[in-house]
Amino acid sequence: MQTGASGSDPLLRDLDFDLRQTLHASKAVRLWRLLTGYHHIYVLATLCLGGAALARAGSLYLLRFFVDSVLMSSASMAEAAPRYALGFILIAAGQGTSGFYAGRLAAQAAEGACCRIRNFLYDHLQRLPFDYHDRTPAGDLLQRTTSDVEAIRKLIALHLMGLGRIVMLLMVYIAAMFSLHGRLTLISLATIPVVLGISIWFFPRFQKRYDRYQAQEARLSTRFQENLSGIRVVRAFVRQRFEIDLTEKENGALLREGVGVVRMHAYYWPISDLITMGQVMVSTYVGGLYLLSGEMTLGAFLAFTGMLGQLMFPIRNLGRLVTQISVGWVSFMRITEILKQNRETVDEVRMEPPGDIRGELRFSDVGFSYEGTERRTENLAEESEEGPAVVLDGVNLHARPGEVVAVLGPTGSGKSTLMSLIPRFYETTSGRILLDGRELNQYPREFIRRNVGIVLQEAFLFSTTVRENLLFGVGHEIDEETLFNATRAAHIHDSILEFPQGYDTIVGEKGVTLSGGQKQRITIARTLLKDPRILILDDALSAVDLATEAKIRSALQQLMRGRTTFIIGHRIQSIMHADRILVLDKGRVVQTGTHEELVDQPGLYRDVHRIQSQIEVELQQDLEQSATEASLHLAEESSLAAVLDSGNGTRR
Amino acid sequence: MEPQYREEEEFETALSGKLLWRLARLNLTHRSLLVIYLVSIIAVAVVDSYFTFLSKRIVDEALLVGDTGMLRRLMLHYGLLVLALAAAVFGFIFSAGYLGERIRYDLCRSMFARLQTLSLAYFDRTPVGWLMARLTSDSRRVGEMVSWGVLDMLWGSCNIVIALGFMAFISWKLALVMMVIIPVTLYVAFKFQRRILEEQRRVRSANSRITAEFNESITGIRVVKSLARERANFLKFQTLSGEMFTAGYRAAWLSALFLPIVQLTAALAVGTIIWYGGWQFEMGELTVGGIQAFIGFIGLMVFPIEEMSRVLAQMQQAFASGERVFSLMDTVPEIQDAPHALSPDSMRGDIEFDNVTFAYEEGRPVLEGIDLHVRQGETIALVGPTGAGKSTLVNLVCRFLEPQSGTIRINGFDLKLLTQESIQSRIGMVLQVPHLFAGTVFQNIQYGLLEATEEGVRDAARQAGADEFIRKLPQGYKSQVGEEGLMLSVGQKQLISIARAILSDPDIFVMDEATSSVDTVTEAMVQKGMEEILRNRTSFVIAHRLSTIRRADRILVIREGGIGEMGTHHELIRARGYYHELYTRQFREERARVMDPFHDTRVAPAPSQSQVV
Repeated sequence: MQTGASGSDPLLRDLDFDLRQTLHASKAVRLWRLLTGYHHIYVLATLCLGGAALARAGSLYLLRFFVDSVLMSSASMAEAAPRYALGFILIAAGQGTSGFYAGRLAAQAAEGACCRIRNFLYDHLQRLPFDYHDRTPAGDLLQRTTSDVEAIRKLIALHLMGLGRIVMLLMVYIAAMFSLHGRLTLISLATIPVVLGISIWFFPRFQKRYDRYQAQEARLSTRFQENLSGIRVVRAFVRQRFEIDLTEKENGALLREGVGVVRMHAYYWPISDLITMGQVMVSTYVGGLYLLSGEMTLGAFLAFTGMLGQLMFPIRNLGRLVTQISVGWVSFMRITEILKQNRETVDEVRMEPPGDIRGELRFSDVGFSYEGTERRTENLAEESEEGPAVVLDGVNLHARPGEVVAVLGPTGSGKSTLMSLIPRFYETTSGRILLDGRELNQYPREFIRRNVGIVLQEAFLFSTTVRENLLFGVGHEIDEETLFNATRAAHIHDSILEFPQGYDTIVGEKGVTLSGGQKQRITIARTLLKDPRILILDDALSAVDLATEAKIRSALQQLMRGRTTFIIGHRIQSIMHADRILVLDKGRVVQTGTHEELVDQPGLYRDVHRIQSQIEVELQQDLEQSATEASLHLAEESSLAAVLDSGNGTRR
Repeated sequence: MEPQYREEEEFETALSGKLLWRLARLNLTHRSLLVIYLVSIIAVAVVDSYFTFLSKRIVDEALLVGDTGMLRRLMLHYGLLVLALAAAVFGFIFSAGYLGERIRYDLCRSMFARLQTLSLAYFDRTPVGWLMARLTSDSRRVGEMVSWGVLDMLWGSCNIVIALGFMAFISWKLALVMMVIIPVTLYVAFKFQRRILEEQRRVRSANSRITAEFNESITGIRVVKSLARERANFLKFQTLSGEMFTAGYRAAWLSALFLPIVQLTAALAVGTIIWYGGWQFEMGELTVGGIQAFIGFIGLMVFPIEEMSRVLAQMQQAFASGERVFSLMDTVPEIQDAPHALSPDSMRGDIEFDNVTFAYEEGRPVLEGIDLHVRQGETIALVGPTGAGKSTLVNLVCRFLEPQSGTIRINGFDLKLLTQESIQSRIGMVLQVPHLFAGTVFQNIQYGLLEATEEGVRDAARQAGADEFIRKLPQGYKSQVGEEGLMLSVGQKQLISIARAILSDPDIFVMDEATSSVDTVTEAMVQKGMEEILRNRTSFVIAHRLSTIRRADRILVIREGGIGEMGTHHELIRARGYYHELYTRQFREERARVMDPFHDTRVAPAPSQSQVV
């Protein structure tokens, strides 16, 4: 893995750590390994928690000595008071410092570990094979990479630390209380298990209730969304009243759920108050009796009751922490699942060949099937009925440098998969593909992909400036003139200049919304700038509107010049000039040749050609018929037409 | 500057008296709750303080004197106080929680009701996301601020005032010192909290950039790989995640610093008390219990100061939320019924446009000087490029929009003199992207006529040609549609919405045909459904299919702000203009689909095409 710009932050440790090394059967070990590089920091943070607890106990101890040896004795106040005052302040400073460092160090460990997780996931996702992305919904991945990482951050920085804080407090305070009065401590701890038990009983239930509340909140939100996005339907049927009633139901239900949550709180806290305060009361009374019988000094009594008060309240929150920690674990597991996925296999050859490639491609007996990988793509469901998902079988093809090869075939015939083999998006499962006489896997992936340009049916642009989008495929500096030449050739230069900030206009939601045709032309310019030897045009024209089709057609002509080009198309018109045409059906090449050769051969190509020619004939007939009918109409009903024309003025 | 990322803007507003009063009034409407709320807040503050005072009395009046009887009596006080506290805590959690929920509920209700009256133009201008934020997070934030926020403030100030009172009772000099320390601490704490909020905002913004980046790299993985951008992207991402680390770490350690600082201030105060109090003790002016109580009171104040500073820091954001909520509630519908608007029972009759001009933005008219006469029963097909104004024209007929100049008349009535309800209830509509509501198929059709019987709904479905496929669904008419239910094709949804429109039996029918290709079987069914609904009704169809266009009585080509071409199909073909070109292309596409050269009825894309480069 490469280290990036963030490696410069001295607070970040072991940025290059390979998170796949965290995999282990035990969750605790996994979490520990996740903190690699931050181990001592996190341990120190935990120790700071202990330090803070000690300091808190210490200040109460100091109170004890102050009361006993200054207030209750005849020692000189003027002399002792400043010392004690200073002592209090120092202890408080110590407590504050360790509290602060506990938070700060834990934050460093948590933020650092999560920064590493984010980086690793980003890199990992980019390296996972296409297969994985094909079958994993983007929304799911997005959730794992964002909110699940955030949950891990909270787990490390807040929840585990919170648990540590309570455990430390319990240990230190119980020890301190024992040193003050053993029997009183035993009496005082009597209700702790009860409080703990109630807390651990309550919070999971509360969580459930709260989940219900949130589910209802989501329902109300969906209701709003439905109404707002369907507002035209609502208006068209004048259903405002009905909509208000419907929403009222969900809104009312949310109110009831909300009150339910509130009610749980309203019961839990006073009840736990009653128990803990009752405990403090009993201990105060018993302690008072010990004091009166001389078993305890006043200072010890005051310190003891002080500690008891400080101890009882956090325990009530323990259940909440336990619940939150278990939620955090789930997120942790979900991220681990991504880590387990295998990346694209490592390049066998890392050396890039010297010089440019010529662009000669030879497929010999190439086959591809999705064996072993489950796929849930709808298209393949049909094929899988026939047995194993064989997508391509025994494909032979030879493309000389600069040749244009067209691929024709029905949906699901394997055209796109065939094309995806060239940039090694998928690896062939049988046969070989030779580039300039050398097997494809003898080139590094990145090298091949730099030399292959793809223009797909729908254009994908990144939400950054037009300029950056154009330069995405270019690895080196480029001057304005080269850039403009490319955009001019793609017939998009003038449109770009009309955008608010020209080439620096941001594309997408927060910037300018581009039409499909504009996007397509930008991707064509992007590919021109990338200047690949091999070009794949995957149905690049079918999603384009009437007005821009001609422009894109000519932009594509520019692009194809001097490159080995593969065209996937449906219309004979767009592929008939290719040097070679391949007809694919069910993963096999059923016909191959030039247009002239194929057009008279019985087969799919001829069928398609006939049908398309027939459509043209029909169209001409239809148009002629319309025209004649119109003139007939005109002659017969000239009077009516006159009325129509006078009634409906066209635009002046 | 990061305008490219979707981020909910965060506003802050300075306080205005009017806004404060409106916020306060939200609470005032729930009087009995408010009484419980106030009483319990004060009770908690008093009881809390009295506890500390009671400890003083236990030490001074029982323990130091050695009076066991007194100890027992004071413990009885203690017990009663515990009960009182529990009751008060119950009261304030319940009342504040309930008020918060209730105010959220009230706000949502009034905002939603107001939204239902606003004109469609408002929705064209306002993104759904913006409205959703008002309805959900803003209403929640205001609810919480007005209930819990106010509670924290009231409770905190009560606590401080009462504690100061007790302190003054023990030693007025020391109380005076505290009266200086407290406001200073509160101010510092407040400034500190503002700072933390600012940092957290930075974290959120860094986080949304990271999310956007992840989103792009996941959805655009094919482009990334084909452009071999992995390394460059990763470097860019590392910068982002580095920023996220810096922001997150900073926010975290600032938060970690806050509590120690407040506590240290308190410790300084305690130190002062011991120093000065010890001296006073020697003078005989203070008791041991008194000193202890003073320290206790200081401890008691730390928490309120923390809470109050937090609330104060968040308040400005909540005010901004309140302001936006109120602004939504105050929005006036642009189209309102005239004072004595008529509501005729029928909208049958000719429709006339008389020199109509409409612009969404001043000076950039979408439609200009439109004159048009549509006879009762005529079917008008509207064609033309996207954004040319086809839908605008239709919306003007429905009076969803109002022209800047010119008049539209139905049956001789100027639309401006009719109630919106009378017009819209007589218009049936089928949208391009058919919108179905969550619920059953039956409920969706019934939406057209709420009082329709089961037979009526089935009848409408039958007329629309939808009955057949609906009955084949897993639960027939009871099948759920939408996200949680079954996924219907666009064509099927369109059939359902046609049935819905048929059920409402409109005088005028408006349809925006789906552009996306529908499979041939469904398409034939949609045709049948349309034939039914077009019969005897004045109809406007924003048309994409040849069959619809051909069947229309008249075709309008809307281009560049006006009617570019108009006439029957034959006439326009003869004219060889834009329509001719459009028709030619559509003809090829449709025939290719019907004749199906690839023996393939599905138009689903191949696997690697489904993800787009």
